[in-house]
Amino acid sequence: MSRVAWRLQRTETAVVAGILALLAVLLIPTGIQMANAYHSDGLNACRALNIGPSCAARIGEFQSRFQALTVLANWFTLVPGLIGVLLAAPFILDLEHGTYRLAWTQGITRRRWLAGKLGILVLTAVVASGALALLMAWWRSPQADLNGRLDTGVYDTAGIVVVGYALFALGVALVLGALWRRSAASLTVAFVGYFAMRIFVDYWLRNRLVSPLQGSWRGLRQPQFLYHAQIMSESGGSGKGGFKSGGPLGGHAQMAVPGNASHTLFHAVYQPASHFWPLQLSETALFTGIAALLIAFAAWWTHERIA
Amino acid sequence: MSDIAVRTSELGKRYRDGWALRDCTLEIPAGSVTALVGPNGAGKTTLLHLVIGLSRQTSGTVEVLGLSPRSDAKAVLPRLGFVAQDHPLYRALTIAETFTLGRRLNAQWDEGFARERAGRLGLDLDKKVGKLSGGQQAQVALTMALAKRPDVLVLDEPVASLDPLARREFLNGVLEAVVETGMTVILSSHIVSELERVCDHLITLADSRTQLAGSIREIVAGHRLLTGPRSDAASVARIHDVIRETHTERQTTLLVRANGHVYDSCWEQHEVDLEEIVLAYLGYRPGMRDTSPAREAVPS
Amino acid sequence: MIEFHLDARSGVPAYLQLVQQVRQAIRLGILREGDQLPTVKEVVAMLTINPNTVLHAYRQLDLEGLVDGRRGVGTFVAAGPPTSPPVDDLKALRSSLERWVARARAAGLDDEGIRAVFAEAVRPETESRVA
Repeated sequence: MSRVAWRLQRTETAVVAGILALLAVLLIPTGIQMANAYHSDGLNACRALNIGPSCAARIGEFQSRFQALTVLANWFTLVPGLIGVLLAAPFILDLEHGTYRLAWTQGITRRRWLAGKLGILVLTAVVASGALALLMAWWRSPQADLNGRLDTGVYDTAGIVVVGYALFALGVALVLGALWRRSAASLTVAFVGYFAMRIFVDYWLRNRLVSPLQGSWRGLRQPQFLYHAQIMSESGGSGKGGFKSGGPLGGHAQMAVPGNASHTLFHAVYQPASHFWPLQLSETALFTGIAALLIAFAAWWTHERIA
Repeated sequence: MSDIAVRTSELGKRYRDGWALRDCTLEIPAGSVTALVGPNGAGKTTLLHLVIGLSRQTSGTVEVLGLSPRSDAKAVLPRLGFVAQDHPLYRALTIAETFTLGRRLNAQWDEGFARERAGRLGLDLDKKVGKLSGGQQAQVALTMALAKRPDVLVLDEPVASLDPLARREFLNGVLEAVVETGMTVILSSHIVSELERVCDHLITLADSRTQLAGSIREIVAGHRLLTGPRSDAASVARIHDVIRETHTERQTTLLVRANGHVYDSCWEQHEVDLEEIVLAYLGYRPGMRDTSPAREAVPS
Repeated sequence: MIEFHLDARSGVPAYLQLVQQVRQAIRLGILREGDQLPTVKEVVAMLTINPNTVLHAYRQLDLEGLVDGRRGVGTFVAAGPPTSPPVDDLKALRSSLERWVARARAAGLDDEGIRAVFAEAVRPETESRVA
């Protein structure tokens, strides 16, 4: 049965593999380049020793050099959604084109067919998204060193959550496909749904999964830990203070502050680096849990209601 | 028991927007070639899907070879062959790959038969199914069903979209298999004229209900067309079932299902061919002037 | 070997057409004693008809004594005299028929009318007489 399932999703598996190959072609050369630049510029040493201005300048230079690529790579967080949605296509097409009437009237029961087919889909999604996460983790490692793994773009492309994202997208697409039996509509709406869910989790739910910490301190100090969240500063004296709040988990530690930084009071709500794994695991559990429910529903609906 | 291939009792299927099939009670003898006739939307596909186990009934029972096609699917499916409406196939697969699908999903599969049949029909095994003509696809779908060596073959409007040559070839393939294996065939159609030659039993379905079910020879022998001067059908209706009653100014024509001989000498009697009989039943609706209650199955 | 054909419009049941064609073939000498009739499978392939129709026809021919069905072997034309009358009788029948046709024409019957009368007269052949 599983060999049959593989054969029938030949095209979609090939497309997903193609996407990964394309990303690999883009990322591997540039990743090597970045890693070399990072080490040759002595940036890792720079960071460990906690040196001031010259390091800051070199860090700045490094980052602006790879700026465009970094920003582009942030969008790769949509790729697991794409993978999940695409893999659902053969299942939906089976219902849309009516070929299930052929598949379910051979010698195996509907239940066995569904189990085999969905099993292969889930497996493929996990493997593909896992490969993607590993690739991205490797590529991002210089930046993860500099800005921490909670940095937007690192957290949600280079962590285990990627697998959860892919499974969730797959689940949504399967449910919509089972209900509507139209592939184009289901896949499109599923992808939009994935996007919406990501926004929801990124901007609202994530910080409620694992609560951030608060703290204040005087003077800009090179952070011992990497923190991200809203950073507000009060300037003593005249002039405007500035703060840079970043993305969902926050921004970088750098800030532009007028005047003498050492007299300024900083107050921040942040996620420390130690929260990385709790966040990753709880978010992965959330997405995977929802995915499991969705896939179970799609299986049940298909088993009971399709005639 | 063993000589009835398919038996239903008060079988019904309801969807959200109403009953697709109701009160369906019939017996299909083993080894027969049965036509299921009715207009589109009458419930033919619903009935066939219930027989094959693709659907679950809302009421009543259906038995195929003594088993429930839905709950005993594992036991029944290997003995059933099915070609759904529009003969669905995976278009991206080649014919050979489609046969491989059949081989992997069926415990009993005659690959030699499938290939030999494809060869005889002039089909290129390495050609993708999507590139075949309609007639060729229908033949591939039929080959898939026959290679299982089923005891019962169910075909949903198998020749509806085929040209006359393809139709002939398809039906020939079915009948050839019947001669060889003695299998039971149920095929649905909305074209009556071809069926008389191919089938020996008939079931009509209209408005989600069965009206006529039995051997074609008995159906034809049991119906008469009576013509005579304009009069009331009452006297005839007392003994026989008047299926259709039409009047002109001077003449009355009755199509009856005779319960025994028709002795009434006022009427001139004619035979009726199968197509006329079927059409009369399909056109029959309660509430018309002809108040005949004749809607039960003809015992076979 | 006899080749069957079917006239779907004739109103004559299929099995009876086969019977008639075999009878005619025997009469004309196309089928001779000992010749094997096409198998059920062959007839089905020829005409795309229900196998039972062929079986019915062959059974009827067997009952009439025209053929012998041998289980597992086939159906063969039986021994026995041809059923057609001697040549002289045929000639006599033919001329009396021609005379009758001339009388019918004189009486005002057209070709169709003649055929209708004839059809009525030979009706018993088509089997399903009512009441």
